[in-house]
Amino acid sequence: MNERIVTELIESFGKLFMAGLKVSLPLTIASFSTGLVIALFVALAQIAKIPVLKRLVRVYVWIIRCTPMIVQLFIVYFGLPSIGIRLNSFASAWLVMSLSVGAYCSETVRAAIQSVPVGQLEACYCDGLTFWQAMIHVIIPQALRTAFPPLSNSIIGLVKDTSLAYSVALVEILATAQRIAARTYDYFWLYMEAGLIYLIFCSVLTIIQGKAEKALERRR
Amino acid sequence: MLEFKHVRKSFGDNVVLRDVSLKVDKGDVVAILGPSGSGKTTLLRAAGYLTKADSGTLIMDGEEYNLNSISSKNLRKYRSRVGFVFQNFNLYGNKTALGNVTLGLTVARKMEKKKAEEIGKKLLEKVGLGDRIDFYPSKLSGGQQQRVAIARALATNPDVILFDEPTSALDPELTGEVLNVIKQLADDGITMIVVTHEMEFARKVATKVVFMENGEIVEENTAEEFFSNPKADRTREFIYKSLAWERKNEHDGSGI
Repeated sequence: MNERIVTELIESFGKLFMAGLKVSLPLTIASFSTGLVIALFVALAQIAKIPVLKRLVRVYVWIIRCTPMIVQLFIVYFGLPSIGIRLNSFASAWLVMSLSVGAYCSETVRAAIQSVPVGQLEACYCDGLTFWQAMIHVIIPQALRTAFPPLSNSIIGLVKDTSLAYSVALVEILATAQRIAARTYDYFWLYMEAGLIYLIFCSVLTIIQGKAEKALERRR
Repeated sequence: MLEFKHVRKSFGDNVVLRDVSLKVDKGDVVAILGPSGSGKTTLLRAAGYLTKADSGTLIMDGEEYNLNSISSKNLRKYRSRVGFVFQNFNLYGNKTALGNVTLGLTVARKMEKKKAEEIGKKLLEKVGLGDRIDFYPSKLSGGQQQRVAIARALATNPDVILFDEPTSALDPELTGEVLNVIKQLADDGITMIVVTHEMEFARKVATKVVFMENGEIVEENTAEEFFSNPKADRTREFIYKSLAWERKNEHDGSGI
Protein backbone atom coordinates (compact mmCIF):
# COMPACT_ATOMS: atom_id res chain seq x y z
CA MET A 1 0.00 0.00 0.00
CA ASN A 2 1.79 3.08 -1.19
CA GLU A 3 1.29 6.71 -0.43
CA ARG A 4 -0.92 7.28 -3.48
CA ILE A 5 -3.42 4.71 -2.34
CA VAL A 6 -3.47 6.10 1.19
CA THR A 7 -4.25 9.58 -0.09
CA GLU A 8 -6.87 8.16 -2.44
CA LEU A 9 -8.53 6.17 0.32
CA ILE A 10 -8.66 9.14 2.64
CA GLU A 11 -10.24 11.18 -0.10
CA SER A 12 -12.71 8.48 -1.09
CA PHE A 13 -13.66 7.80 2.53
CA GLY A 14 -15.48 11.11 2.68
CA LYS A 15 -17.26 10.39 -0.58
CA LEU A 16 -18.34 6.93 0.47
CA PHE A 17 -19.41 8.15 3.86
CA MET A 18 -21.48 10.93 2.34
CA ALA A 19 -23.07 8.48 -0.10
CA GLY A 20 -24.05 6.44 2.92
CA LEU A 21 -25.36 9.47 4.77
CA LYS A 22 -27.22 10.96 1.81
CA VAL A 23 -28.47 7.86 0.00
CA SER A 24 -28.17 4.56 1.87
CA LEU A 25 -29.29 5.88 5.24
CA PRO A 26 -32.32 7.82 3.95
CA LEU A 27 -33.29 4.79 1.86
CA THR A 28 -33.01 2.59 4.93
CA ILE A 29 -35.06 4.91 7.11
CA ALA A 30 -37.72 5.55 4.47
CA SER A 31 -38.08 1.87 3.57
CA PHE A 32 -38.06 0.71 7.14
CA SER A 33 -40.69 3.14 8.38
CA THR A 34 -42.97 2.50 5.41
CA GLY A 35 -42.33 -1.22 5.76
CA LEU A 36 -43.16 -1.17 9.44
CA VAL A 37 -46.52 0.46 8.75
CA ILE A 38 -47.22 -2.23 6.14
CA ALA A 39 -46.10 -4.92 8.60
CA LEU A 40 -48.43 -3.60 11.30
CA PHE A 41 -51.32 -3.50 8.86
CA VAL A 42 -50.60 -7.03 7.62
CA ALA A 43 -50.29 -8.35 11.17
CA LEU A 44 -53.55 -6.73 12.26
CA ALA A 45 -55.33 -7.94 9.14
CA GLN A 46 -54.41 -11.48 10.16
CA ILE A 47 -55.38 -11.00 13.80
CA ALA A 48 -58.62 -9.10 13.22
CA LYS A 49 -60.00 -12.07 11.27
CA ILE A 50 -61.33 -10.28 8.21
CA PRO A 51 -61.38 -13.26 5.78
CA VAL A 52 -60.83 -11.50 2.44
CA LEU A 53 -58.15 -9.21 3.78
CA LYS A 54 -56.43 -12.08 5.52
CA ARG A 55 -56.13 -14.06 2.30
CA LEU A 56 -54.95 -11.03 0.39
CA VAL A 57 -52.13 -10.22 2.78
CA ARG A 58 -51.06 -13.87 2.82
CA VAL A 59 -50.61 -13.80 -0.94
CA TYR A 60 -48.56 -10.62 -0.57
CA VAL A 61 -46.29 -12.10 2.06
CA TRP A 62 -45.93 -15.28 0.06
CA ILE A 63 -44.88 -13.51 -3.16
CA ILE A 64 -42.47 -11.09 -1.55
CA ARG A 65 -40.78 -13.68 0.62
CA CYS A 66 -40.41 -16.21 -2.15
CA THR A 67 -38.85 -14.04 -4.86
CA PRO A 68 -35.36 -12.48 -4.74
CA MET A 69 -35.18 -8.80 -4.00
CA ILE A 70 -32.92 -8.15 -6.96
CA VAL A 71 -35.53 -9.65 -9.30
CA GLN A 72 -38.18 -7.40 -7.72
CA LEU A 73 -35.91 -4.40 -8.21
CA PHE A 74 -35.39 -5.28 -11.88
CA ILE A 75 -39.13 -5.71 -12.39
CA VAL A 76 -39.90 -2.33 -10.87
CA TYR A 77 -37.05 -0.32 -12.37
CA PHE A 78 -36.57 -1.96 -15.78
CA GLY A 79 -39.92 -3.69 -16.23
CA LEU A 80 -42.58 -1.23 -15.13
CA PRO A 81 -41.60 1.46 -17.69
CA SER A 82 -42.82 -0.89 -20.45
CA ILE A 83 -46.34 -0.56 -19.03
CA GLY A 84 -45.91 3.16 -18.59
CA ILE A 85 -44.89 3.39 -14.95
CA ARG A 86 -41.59 5.13 -14.54
CA LEU A 87 -39.94 5.32 -11.14
CA ASN A 88 -36.48 6.70 -10.54
CA SER A 89 -33.77 4.63 -8.85
CA PHE A 90 -34.50 5.82 -5.34
CA ALA A 91 -38.26 5.42 -5.63
CA SER A 92 -37.89 1.92 -7.10
CA ALA A 93 -35.59 0.85 -4.30
CA TRP A 94 -37.85 2.47 -1.70
CA LEU A 95 -40.92 0.67 -3.04
CA VAL A 96 -39.26 -2.75 -3.24
CA MET A 97 -37.54 -2.50 0.11
CA SER A 98 -40.66 -1.26 1.91
CA LEU A 99 -42.62 -4.20 0.55
CA SER A 100 -39.86 -6.53 1.61
CA VAL A 101 -39.66 -5.15 5.15
CA GLY A 102 -43.45 -5.23 5.33
CA ALA A 103 -43.58 -8.91 4.44
CA TYR A 104 -40.73 -10.09 6.62
CA CYS A 105 -41.56 -7.99 9.66
CA SER A 106 -45.28 -8.74 9.57
CA GLU A 107 -44.59 -12.14 11.08
CA THR A 108 -42.41 -10.60 13.77
CA VAL A 109 -45.08 -8.04 14.59
CA ARG A 110 -47.88 -10.62 14.54
CA ALA A 111 -46.04 -12.89 16.95
CA ALA A 112 -45.26 -9.92 19.19
CA ILE A 113 -48.89 -8.77 19.25
CA GLN A 114 -50.00 -12.28 20.11
CA SER A 115 -47.42 -12.43 22.89
CA VAL A 116 -49.33 -9.75 24.80
CA PRO A 117 -51.73 -11.68 27.07
CA VAL A 118 -55.22 -11.70 25.58
CA GLY A 119 -56.54 -10.79 29.04
CA GLN A 120 -55.24 -7.25 28.54
CA LEU A 121 -57.43 -6.91 25.47
CA GLU A 122 -60.39 -8.13 27.52
CA ALA A 123 -59.53 -5.64 30.23
CA CYS A 124 -59.53 -2.90 27.60
CA TYR A 125 -62.98 -3.97 26.45
CA CYS A 126 -64.22 -3.87 30.04
CA ASP A 127 -62.71 -0.41 30.31
CA GLY A 128 -64.89 0.66 27.39
CA LEU A 129 -62.17 0.74 24.74
CA THR A 130 -62.75 -0.42 21.17
CA PHE A 131 -60.50 -3.00 19.46
CA TRP A 132 -58.48 -0.28 17.72
CA GLN A 133 -58.15 1.87 20.83
CA ALA A 134 -56.92 -1.17 22.72
CA MET A 135 -54.39 -1.89 19.99
CA ILE A 136 -53.07 1.65 19.90
CA HIS A 137 -52.91 2.34 23.62
CA VAL A 138 -52.11 -1.03 25.15
CA ILE A 139 -51.30 -3.90 22.82
CA ILE A 140 -49.07 -2.43 20.09
CA PRO A 141 -46.78 -0.47 22.44
CA GLN A 142 -46.03 -3.68 24.32
CA ALA A 143 -45.77 -5.70 21.13
CA LEU A 144 -43.21 -3.31 19.65
CA ARG A 145 -41.13 -3.66 22.77
CA THR A 146 -41.08 -7.42 22.31
CA ALA A 147 -40.47 -7.02 18.60
CA PHE A 148 -37.63 -4.56 19.11
CA PRO A 149 -34.67 -6.98 18.98
CA PRO A 150 -35.85 -8.83 15.85
CA LEU A 151 -36.82 -5.52 14.22
CA SER A 152 -33.35 -4.19 14.95
CA ASN A 153 -32.04 -7.24 13.16
CA SER A 154 -34.18 -6.36 10.16
CA ILE A 155 -33.05 -2.74 10.01
CA ILE A 156 -29.40 -3.77 10.16
CA GLY A 157 -30.08 -6.30 7.42
CA LEU A 158 -31.78 -3.58 5.43
CA VAL A 159 -28.76 -1.24 5.62
CA LYS A 160 -26.76 -3.91 3.86
CA ASP A 161 -29.54 -4.76 1.42
CA THR A 162 -29.55 -1.17 0.18
CA SER A 163 -26.37 -2.12 -1.66
CA LEU A 164 -28.63 -4.10 -4.02
CA ALA A 165 -30.00 -0.79 -5.24
CA TYR A 166 -26.64 -0.46 -6.97
CA SER A 167 -28.14 -2.69 -9.65
CA VAL A 168 -30.82 -0.12 -10.48
CA ALA A 169 -28.34 2.71 -10.91
CA LEU A 170 -28.69 4.22 -7.46
CA VAL A 171 -25.44 5.88 -6.51
CA GLU A 172 -25.09 4.64 -2.98
CA ILE A 173 -22.02 3.45 -1.09
CA LEU A 174 -21.11 0.50 -3.30
CA ALA A 175 -21.74 2.35 -6.56
CA THR A 176 -19.60 5.24 -5.38
CA ALA A 177 -16.74 2.87 -4.56
CA GLN A 178 -17.19 1.15 -7.90
CA ARG A 179 -16.98 4.45 -9.76
CA ILE A 180 -13.80 5.53 -8.05
CA ALA A 181 -12.21 2.12 -8.52
CA ALA A 182 -13.09 2.08 -12.20
CA ARG A 183 -10.90 5.13 -12.55
CA THR A 184 -7.99 4.08 -10.36
CA TYR A 185 -8.15 0.27 -10.58
CA ASP A 186 -7.74 -0.06 -6.80
CA TYR A 187 -10.69 -2.43 -6.55
CA PHE A 188 -9.40 -4.32 -3.57
CA TRP A 189 -8.91 -1.27 -1.37
CA LEU A 190 -12.06 0.53 -2.41
CA TYR A 191 -14.31 -2.45 -1.88
CA MET A 192 -12.62 -2.98 1.46
CA GLU A 193 -13.39 0.63 2.26
CA ALA A 194 -17.03 0.22 1.17
CA GLY A 195 -17.26 -2.74 3.52
CA LEU A 196 -15.80 -0.61 6.29
CA ILE A 197 -18.45 2.06 5.74
CA TYR A 198 -21.24 -0.52 6.07
CA LEU A 199 -19.49 -1.82 9.16
CA ILE A 200 -19.49 1.66 10.69
CA PHE A 201 -23.16 2.32 9.94
CA CYS A 202 -24.27 -1.05 11.26
CA SER A 203 -22.09 -0.73 14.35
CA VAL A 204 -23.71 2.58 15.20
CA LEU A 205 -27.13 0.96 14.82
CA THR A 206 -26.04 -1.91 17.05
CA ILE A 207 -24.99 0.53 19.76
CA ILE A 208 -28.26 2.45 19.44
CA GLN A 209 -30.17 -0.83 19.73
CA GLY A 210 -28.40 -1.68 22.98
CA LYS A 211 -29.10 1.73 24.48
CA ALA A 212 -32.72 1.77 23.34
CA GLU A 213 -33.34 -1.67 24.78
CA LYS A 214 -32.06 -0.53 28.14
CA ALA A 215 -34.25 2.56 28.01
CA LEU A 216 -37.31 0.45 27.17
CA GLU A 217 -36.50 -1.93 30.00
CA ARG A 218 -36.63 0.91 32.50
CA ARG A 219 -40.17 1.71 31.47
CA ARG A 220 -41.86 -1.44 32.64
CA MET B 1 -81.24 -4.14 39.71
CA LEU B 2 -79.52 -6.96 37.84
CA GLU B 3 -81.17 -10.12 36.65
CA PHE B 4 -79.93 -13.05 34.59
CA LYS B 5 -82.63 -14.92 32.74
CA HIS B 6 -82.23 -18.37 31.21
CA VAL B 7 -78.55 -18.17 30.39
CA ARG B 8 -77.27 -21.14 28.39
CA LYS B 9 -73.85 -21.90 27.03
CA SER B 10 -72.10 -24.92 25.57
CA PHE B 11 -68.61 -25.38 24.27
CA GLY B 12 -69.16 -28.05 21.61
CA ASP B 13 -70.85 -31.00 23.32
CA ASN B 14 -69.89 -29.73 26.73
CA VAL B 15 -72.83 -27.93 28.31
CA VAL B 16 -71.41 -25.37 30.70
CA LEU B 17 -74.51 -23.39 31.63
CA ARG B 18 -77.97 -24.90 31.53
CA ASP B 19 -80.67 -22.36 32.01
CA VAL B 20 -79.24 -20.22 34.78
CA SER B 21 -81.36 -17.44 36.24
CA LEU B 22 -80.25 -15.19 39.06
CA LYS B 23 -81.43 -11.95 40.60
CA VAL B 24 -79.14 -9.45 42.27
CA ASP B 25 -80.45 -6.52 44.26
CA LYS B 26 -78.78 -3.17 44.69
CA GLY B 27 -76.11 -3.35 47.39
CA ASP B 28 -75.97 -7.13 47.26
CA VAL B 29 -72.67 -8.90 47.49
CA VAL B 30 -73.27 -12.20 45.77
CA ALA B 31 -70.66 -14.92 46.25
CA ILE B 32 -70.78 -17.66 43.65
CA LEU B 33 -69.28 -20.87 45.01
CA GLY B 34 -68.89 -24.26 43.43
CA PRO B 35 -66.38 -26.85 42.29
CA SER B 36 -64.13 -26.22 39.29
CA GLY B 37 -65.95 -26.64 36.00
CA SER B 38 -69.30 -25.79 37.50
CA GLY B 39 -69.78 -22.87 35.11
CA LYS B 40 -69.42 -20.04 37.57
CA THR B 41 -66.62 -18.26 35.71
CA THR B 42 -68.45 -18.73 32.40
CA LEU B 43 -71.54 -17.13 33.89
CA LEU B 44 -69.51 -14.15 35.03
CA ARG B 45 -67.72 -13.84 31.70
CA ALA B 46 -71.05 -13.97 29.89
CA ALA B 47 -72.23 -11.14 32.12
CA GLY B 48 -69.15 -9.14 31.11
CA TYR B 49 -69.75 -9.94 27.42
CA LEU B 50 -66.34 -11.60 27.33
CA THR B 51 -67.87 -14.96 26.42
CA LYS B 52 -70.89 -14.98 24.18
CA ALA B 53 -73.74 -17.00 25.69
CA ASP B 54 -75.80 -19.23 23.42
CA SER B 55 -78.94 -17.59 24.74
CA GLY B 56 -80.15 -15.63 27.70
CA THR B 57 -80.91 -12.11 28.73
CA LEU B 58 -79.63 -9.75 31.32
CA ILE B 59 -81.85 -7.09 32.76
CA MET B 60 -80.23 -4.08 34.31
CA ASP B 61 -82.35 -1.35 35.78
CA GLY B 62 -85.21 -2.33 33.52
CA GLU B 63 -83.13 -2.43 30.37
CA GLU B 64 -82.82 -5.74 28.60
CA TYR B 65 -79.56 -6.94 27.08
CA ASN B 66 -79.34 -10.07 24.94
CA LEU B 67 -76.32 -12.07 26.07
CA ASN B 68 -75.99 -13.68 22.65
CA SER B 69 -75.85 -10.57 20.52
CA ILE B 70 -75.63 -6.89 21.22
CA SER B 71 -75.09 -3.78 19.14
CA SER B 72 -71.77 -2.08 19.71
CA LYS B 73 -73.58 1.03 20.90
CA ASN B 74 -75.49 -0.87 23.56
CA LEU B 75 -72.36 -2.79 24.48
CA ARG B 76 -70.49 0.43 25.17
CA LYS B 77 -73.35 1.69 27.28
CA TYR B 78 -73.54 -1.60 29.18
CA ARG B 79 -69.81 -1.79 29.76
CA SER B 80 -69.73 1.70 31.18
CA ARG B 81 -71.98 0.44 33.97
CA VAL B 82 -70.15 -2.78 34.76
CA GLY B 83 -66.64 -3.24 36.15
CA PHE B 84 -64.69 -6.46 35.81
CA VAL B 85 -61.83 -7.78 37.94
CA PHE B 86 -59.88 -10.74 36.56
CA GLN B 87 -58.27 -13.69 38.24
CA ASN B 88 -54.86 -12.78 36.87
CA PHE B 89 -55.26 -9.01 37.12
CA ASN B 90 -54.63 -8.25 33.41
CA LEU B 91 -53.06 -4.90 34.15
CA TYR B 92 -51.73 -2.99 31.14
CA GLY B 93 -48.01 -3.74 31.13
CA ASN B 94 -47.08 -0.47 29.43
CA LYS B 95 -48.91 1.74 31.91
CA THR B 96 -48.15 2.73 35.47
CA ALA B 97 -50.63 1.99 38.24
CA LEU B 98 -52.15 5.42 37.65
CA GLY B 99 -52.14 4.93 33.89
CA ASN B 100 -54.00 1.67 34.33
CA VAL B 101 -56.72 3.35 36.34
CA THR B 102 -57.12 6.37 34.07
CA LEU B 103 -56.96 4.78 30.60
CA GLY B 104 -60.67 4.02 30.43
CA LEU B 105 -61.47 7.56 31.52
CA THR B 106 -59.17 9.37 29.12
CA VAL B 107 -59.60 7.15 26.07
CA ALA B 108 -63.07 5.68 26.26
CA ARG B 109 -64.71 8.62 28.03
CA LYS B 110 -62.53 11.38 26.62
CA MET B 111 -62.05 12.85 30.06
CA GLU B 112 -59.40 15.48 30.56
CA LYS B 113 -56.13 13.93 31.70
CA LYS B 114 -55.84 16.08 34.79
CA LYS B 115 -59.31 15.28 36.00
CA ALA B 116 -58.84 11.58 35.30
CA GLU B 117 -55.59 11.56 37.25
CA GLU B 118 -57.30 13.19 40.18
CA ILE B 119 -59.89 10.41 40.21
CA GLY B 120 -57.18 7.80 39.69
CA LYS B 121 -55.09 9.03 42.59
CA LYS B 122 -58.06 9.06 44.89
CA LEU B 123 -58.97 5.49 43.96
CA LEU B 124 -55.42 4.25 44.37
CA GLU B 125 -55.34 5.82 47.80
CA LYS B 126 -58.60 4.11 48.58
CA VAL B 127 -57.08 0.70 47.83
CA GLY B 128 -53.99 1.62 49.86
CA LEU B 129 -51.60 2.28 47.00
CA GLY B 130 -51.23 6.04 47.20
CA ASP B 131 -47.47 5.61 47.30
CA ARG B 132 -47.31 3.34 44.26
CA ILE B 133 -49.05 5.39 41.58
CA ASP B 134 -45.96 5.61 39.35
CA PHE B 135 -45.07 1.92 39.57
CA TYR B 136 -45.36 -0.34 36.56
CA PRO B 137 -47.26 -3.61 37.11
CA SER B 138 -44.05 -5.67 36.94
CA LYS B 139 -42.79 -3.79 39.99
CA LEU B 140 -45.88 -4.56 42.08
CA SER B 141 -46.72 -7.69 44.05
CA GLY B 142 -49.70 -9.79 43.03
CA GLY B 143 -51.83 -8.35 45.79
CA GLN B 144 -50.90 -4.82 44.80
CA GLN B 145 -51.62 -5.55 41.16
CA GLN B 146 -55.05 -6.87 42.02
CA ARG B 147 -55.77 -3.78 44.09
CA VAL B 148 -54.79 -1.61 41.12
CA ALA B 149 -57.16 -3.71 39.02
CA ILE B 150 -59.94 -3.05 41.51
CA ALA B 151 -59.23 0.67 41.41
CA ARG B 152 -59.35 0.45 37.61
CA ALA B 153 -62.72 -1.27 37.74
CA LEU B 154 -63.99 1.46 40.08
CA ALA B 155 -62.73 4.32 37.92
CA THR B 156 -65.70 4.43 35.60
CA ASN B 157 -68.01 4.40 38.61
CA PRO B 158 -69.93 1.26 37.60
CA ASP B 159 -73.23 0.12 39.06
CA VAL B 160 -71.96 -3.38 39.59
CA ILE B 161 -68.52 -4.99 39.75
CA LEU B 162 -67.88 -8.56 38.68
CA PHE B 163 -64.97 -10.39 40.33
CA ASP B 164 -63.63 -13.56 38.74
CA GLU B 165 -61.75 -15.45 41.45
CA PRO B 166 -59.88 -12.32 42.51
CA THR B 167 -57.57 -14.08 44.94
CA SER B 168 -56.96 -17.42 43.23
CA ALA B 169 -53.69 -16.33 41.65
CA LEU B 170 -52.30 -14.86 44.86
CA ASP B 171 -49.98 -16.08 47.57
CA PRO B 172 -52.02 -16.96 50.66
CA GLU B 173 -50.26 -14.11 52.44
CA LEU B 174 -51.55 -11.59 49.93
CA THR B 175 -55.18 -12.66 49.68
CA GLY B 176 -56.03 -10.76 52.86
CA GLU B 177 -55.15 -7.33 51.51
CA VAL B 178 -57.31 -7.89 48.44
CA LEU B 179 -60.24 -9.31 50.35
CA ASN B 180 -60.07 -6.38 52.74
CA VAL B 181 -60.42 -3.97 49.85
CA ILE B 182 -63.40 -5.90 48.51
CA LYS B 183 -64.95 -5.92 51.97
CA GLN B 184 -64.46 -2.18 52.16
CA LEU B 185 -66.35 -1.81 48.88
CA ALA B 186 -69.10 -4.02 50.26
CA ASP B 187 -69.33 -1.73 53.28
CA ASP B 188 -69.65 1.20 50.87
CA GLY B 189 -72.72 -0.50 49.44
CA ILE B 190 -71.31 -1.31 46.01
CA THR B 191 -73.13 -4.12 44.25
CA MET B 192 -70.80 -7.01 43.51
CA ILE B 193 -70.82 -10.52 42.15
CA VAL B 194 -67.79 -12.48 43.31
CA VAL B 195 -66.83 -15.89 41.99
CA THR B 196 -64.60 -17.29 44.69
CA HIS B 197 -63.20 -20.27 46.52
CA GLU B 198 -62.73 -18.31 49.73
CA MET B 199 -65.36 -19.76 52.04
CA GLU B 200 -64.50 -17.43 54.89
CA PHE B 201 -64.87 -14.43 52.64
CA ALA B 202 -68.23 -15.66 51.37
CA ARG B 203 -69.40 -16.22 54.90
CA LYS B 204 -68.30 -12.87 56.25
CA VAL B 205 -68.76 -10.46 53.37
CA ALA B 206 -71.43 -11.86 51.06
CA THR B 207 -75.07 -11.03 51.57
CA LYS B 208 -76.09 -13.83 49.28
CA VAL B 209 -74.42 -17.09 48.34
CA VAL B 210 -75.04 -19.02 45.15
CA PHE B 211 -73.81 -22.58 44.84
CA MET B 212 -73.31 -23.89 41.32
CA GLU B 213 -72.58 -27.33 39.95
CA ASN B 214 -72.72 -28.80 36.43
CA GLY B 215 -73.90 -25.52 34.97
CA GLU B 216 -76.83 -25.15 37.30
CA ILE B 217 -77.60 -23.22 40.43
CA VAL B 218 -78.00 -25.84 43.16
CA GLU B 219 -78.73 -23.46 45.99
CA GLU B 220 -79.28 -19.76 46.38
CA ASN B 221 -79.47 -18.48 49.90
CA THR B 222 -78.52 -15.73 52.29
CA ALA B 223 -74.94 -16.12 53.46
CA GLU B 224 -75.97 -16.87 57.00
CA GLU B 225 -78.51 -19.52 56.05
CA PHE B 226 -76.17 -21.00 53.45
CA PHE B 227 -73.45 -21.81 55.94
CA SER B 228 -75.48 -22.55 59.04
CA ASN B 229 -78.45 -24.25 57.50
CA PRO B 230 -77.85 -25.32 53.88
CA LYS B 231 -80.87 -26.68 52.07
CA ALA B 232 -79.46 -28.99 49.42
CA ASP B 233 -77.57 -32.19 50.25
CA ARG B 234 -74.91 -31.34 47.70
CA THR B 235 -74.32 -27.98 49.35
CA ARG B 236 -73.96 -29.59 52.73
CA GLU B 237 -71.41 -31.99 51.32
CA PHE B 238 -69.48 -29.17 49.65
CA ILE B 239 -69.33 -27.08 52.81
CA TYR B 240 -68.39 -30.10 54.88
CA LYS B 241 -65.57 -31.12 52.54
CA SER B 242 -64.31 -27.58 52.11
CA LEU B 243 -63.96 -27.19 55.84
CA ALA B 244 -62.84 -30.76 56.51
CA TRP B 245 -59.17 -29.94 56.12
CA GLU B 246 -59.34 -27.30 58.81
CA ARG B 247 -61.25 -29.58 61.13
CA LYS B 248 -58.83 -32.44 60.60
CA ASN B 249 -55.91 -30.24 61.55
CA GLU B 250 -57.63 -29.22 64.72
CA HIS B 251 -58.18 -32.85 65.68
CA ASP B 252 -54.83 -34.44 64.95
CA GLY B 253 -52.93 -31.47 66.26
CA SER B 254 -50.19 -31.90 63.68
CA GLY B 255 -50.64 -28.29 62.71
CA ILE B 256 -49.58 -28.76 59.09
